[in-house]
Amino acid sequence: MSKAIEINNIEFAYLGSSDKSLSIQEFSVEEGESVLITGLSGSGKSTFIQCINGIIPHIIDGTFAGSVKIFGTDTKEMKVPEISRTVGTLLQDPERQVINYTVEEEVAFAPENFNIPAAEIKEMVNNAISSVGIDHLKGKETLKLSGGELQRVALASVLTMDPRILILDEPTSNIDPEGTNQIFEFLRKEVGKRTLLVVEHKVERVLPFIDRVVVFDQGKIVVDDKKENILNDVTLLEKLGIEIPENMFLAKKMGLESYDIETVSQYIYENKIALKMPERKKGGELSLRTSGNVKYDTGFDLNFNLEFKSGTITAIVGKNGSGKSTLFKGLIGWLDDMHQAVSDVKIETPEKVIKDNNIAERGKIIGYLPQSFDLMLINRTVKRELHYSRRVRGNSNSDSDIERITKLFTLEKYMDTDPLMLSQGQRRRVAMAATIAGGPKIILMDEPTSGQDYYHKKNLGDEIGLLKQMGYTIIMVSHDMRFAFHYADRMVVLDSGKIVADGTPEEVFDSSEVYGLLPPAEFSLRRGIIV
Amino acid sequence: MYSLLDTFISWFVLIFGVGAPLYVIFKAIGFNGFREITVYSKYNTFLYRVNPAIKIVFAVVIMMVVTTTIWWIGAILTVAVLSLYITLEHGKRKLYIGSLFIMSTLVGSLWGYAPFVTYSTLSVVFPHFTPDVIWTWPSYFAIMGYQHVLTLQALKYSFQISFRSTAIMASALLLVMTNTPSQILRTLHRFHIPDPILFSIMVAMRTVSFVLEYLNESIKIQMMRGLGSKHSKYLKPIFFFIAAMQGLVPTIIHIMRGGKDTGISADTRGFRATKKRSYVESVPINRLDYYVLAIVVVLIVMDVAINIMGFGRTIPYN
Repeated sequence: MSKAIEINNIEFAYLGSSDKSLSIQEFSVEEGESVLITGLSGSGKSTFIQCINGIIPHIIDGTFAGSVKIFGTDTKEMKVPEISRTVGTLLQDPERQVINYTVEEEVAFAPENFNIPAAEIKEMVNNAISSVGIDHLKGKETLKLSGGELQRVALASVLTMDPRILILDEPTSNIDPEGTNQIFEFLRKEVGKRTLLVVEHKVERVLPFIDRVVVFDQGKIVVDDKKENILNDVTLLEKLGIEIPENMFLAKKMGLESYDIETVSQYIYENKIALKMPERKKGGELSLRTSGNVKYDTGFDLNFNLEFKSGTITAIVGKNGSGKSTLFKGLIGWLDDMHQAVSDVKIETPEKVIKDNNIAERGKIIGYLPQSFDLMLINRTVKRELHYSRRVRGNSNSDSDIERITKLFTLEKYMDTDPLMLSQGQRRRVAMAATIAGGPKIILMDEPTSGQDYYHKKNLGDEIGLLKQMGYTIIMVSHDMRFAFHYADRMVVLDSGKIVADGTPEEVFDSSEVYGLLPPAEFSLRRGIIV
Repeated sequence: MYSLLDTFISWFVLIFGVGAPLYVIFKAIGFNGFREITVYSKYNTFLYRVNPAIKIVFAVVIMMVVTTTIWWIGAILTVAVLSLYITLEHGKRKLYIGSLFIMSTLVGSLWGYAPFVTYSTLSVVFPHFTPDVIWTWPSYFAIMGYQHVLTLQALKYSFQISFRSTAIMASALLLVMTNTPSQILRTLHRFHIPDPILFSIMVAMRTVSFVLEYLNESIKIQMMRGLGSKHSKYLKPIFFFIAAMQGLVPTIIHIMRGGKDTGISADTRGFRATKKRSYVESVPINRLDYYVLAIVVVLIVMDVAINIMGFGRTIPYN
C-alpha cells in the first residue's frame, strides 16, 4: 500500500500568535486506512486537517514549517483546488457549507468549478447522490432540508470529485440522531474504499469501523494506536478528556479482550455485576404546567400537555421536525402568527397563568439559552452582561445573588472582559450565568451540548446538576442521548408533533429506537441488570 | 425656547423614521415573511420560466424609467410590479408581505431624506417656493446634517422621490424570488463579472435571511431579558430599535464565524480552480423571454414619450 498522507516536522502558529498551534514530527496514513482523530476542543485537530487539505499554508496565514505530502506531492507545491481533487473535506455545520439553493446545484458545485462538461457533471452528481443515499432529495431546496439531510447533501457535494482521501471534521456535531446514524452508516460502507480521517468526539460510534485512533493534546499527537490496542490507552484517554464509552472501561477493568457491548454485557450478566443507574429525581413542587396546540400551514400539528417540577432536568428529544423547537418557541412566545395558526399555548406557574404571547412576561418566568448563545451577548463586559436584566427590568436579584452566580460559573476573572472575546466554553458559561441572573427559575436550553467536547459537556452537566439542587427546573432540547442518560431525570420524546414517550431515561430508552433514538452504551450495558 | 416636549417629539420623530420600517420588517412581516420575499422557491408560473438575464434587463429598464420620469410613473410601476407577485407561489401572501415591505421602504426613504433636503434644492424643485414649516428641530440636530426646519415641501419632495427606489426594489425582489442564486450568477458570469464577486453575491443572497433570523433571535432574547418591560407598550418600537442596534454586533460576529467555514468549504471544493466555470443546467432563451423583451421595449418607448410630453424628471415636481 502507498502512503496517502506523509507528514514530517510540521509546525504552525497562527498569525499574531507566538504559540505553536500544531507541532508534529512524523505521521503517515496508508491508502485505504480509516483513522479516528479526537481530542479536546482547541487541541489542534482542525489545524491538523487544514494542513492536510492545504488550507494551511495557502489560505490561513501564519508561520508554517515542515512538509505535508499527499500521495507523494508536497501540499506547498499544489494549489488548494488541485489538492481538493484528492482531498475532500466535510465540515461540522452543514448550514455554513451549503451555499446553493437546490440539492443538484450544490452537489454540482465542485465539478462546475473544474469546468467539467455538463453531461459528465450530471453523471457525477447522480453517482454522488446515490452513494450517500439521498436520491429522494433530488430537486429539493436546500433551505427546506433538516440538518441531517443537509449534511448528507454537503457530503455528496464533497464526494462528487471522488476524492481518494475523505476528511470528516465532526460531521455529526450539529445534526439529529437519525442524521447521525445515516452519516455513520455511510462511513461504515466507505471503509477501505478510500482513506478516511474522521474527527469526532463520539468515539463510541466511530470505533466499530476505523483502524486507528489518533489523539491530540495541545497541538501534539499524544496517542497513535491501532484500534485493537486502544484498551491499553483508556486511562490516558480519560485523563485527556476524551469521551470513553463505559464498556471500554469495564472491559479493561475486567480484563476482557473485546470491549463490544454484547461481550461486556454478557460478562456483567454472567458474573452478576451490579451497575448503578444515574440517580433520577422526581422533583419537588410543580413549577410549570403548559398545554397547547400549534398548527402550521404546512399541516404540521403539535399538541402537548406537560407538567414540570422544580429541581428536575427534563430532556426533550426526537427527530428533526418532530416539534421540539416549536414547543420551545410556544413556551417562550416566539411563534410567528403570520405563518403558524397558534392556539392556546398556555403556561401556568403556581403564581400566575400566561395565555398571550408576551415575550417579556414569559421572560420573567422562563429563561432561554439559545443554541447560538453568542446572540445574547450584547454587553461590553461580562459584568454588565450579568447585571443586564437587573438594569433593564429591575428584578429582585441583589449584588450578592449575582456574585453567587458569578462564582457558580467560575467567571470571577473575566468580569471586565468582553464576553465575545472569550472561548466557546467560556461564552457558553457567560450566557448561562446571564440567563440565571435574569431571575427565572425555569431554564430552557436549546441543544446545550451541540459542538461541545466531552470535557465541556461534563462541565455543563455539573453546572445544571448544581442548578437542579438549587431548585431550578431545567428543560433542554437535546440530540445527545448519552448526556440525557447521565443528567436528565426525565425524557420526553416527540414524534410528528405528538408526545410518544415520557418517563425516566431508562424507561424511554427501552423503546426509543422505534423513534430513531439509539440508546447510549451505558444504557445497553444496564438493560439486563438494573440496580 | 425649545421645550422638553419639543425635544422629546423631535427625537421621537427621528427614531420613528428608522425604527418604524425596522418594526414593520420584524414585527408585521416577521423573519419568515422576510425570508419568503428574499429567497427563491420552486413554482411553475410564467415568471419562473423567464430567463434571469431578461429579468435583470427588465429591472434595469424599470430603474431607468423611474429615474427619468415624473414620480407617479414610479408609483404606477411599483404597483404594477407588485401586482405580479400574485402569480408567484403563495402569491396573495407574497403580495401582502411585499406591499408591507415596500411601504416600510417608502416610510424609511421619506424620513431618511426629508430632514436633509436643503432650501436651495426645494427652491429649484418648487416654483415660487415659500416654506410651510411644520417642525423646527433642536439646533444640535445640525450635527447630524439636519436642516433647521422640516417643511411640507421637503416631505412632499421626499415622498415623490421615494418611488424611485420602491419600483426598483419590487422588481429586484421579483428576480430573487423566481430564480436561484446560481441561475442569476450564471447570467452575470456571461457578463464577465469576476468569480469572487459572484461568489460573494451568492453567499450574501443566502446569508441575508440568516442575518435577519439571528438578529430577530437576539432582539427577542433581549425582550425576554426585560428590555423595555418597565416602560409603556407605546414605546415598544423605540426599544425594538435599541434591541436591533444592540443585537447587530453579536449577529455580525456570529455570521463572520460561520463565514470562515463557508470559505473553506468552497475552497476545498475547487472554487477558482479554473478561469472558466461550467454549469450543469443551461438557462435557455425561450418564446416567453421575447414577450418580456417586447414589454421592455414598450417601457423604453414609453419613457421617451413621457419625457417628450413633459412628464420627465423635470422640475417643477408639482
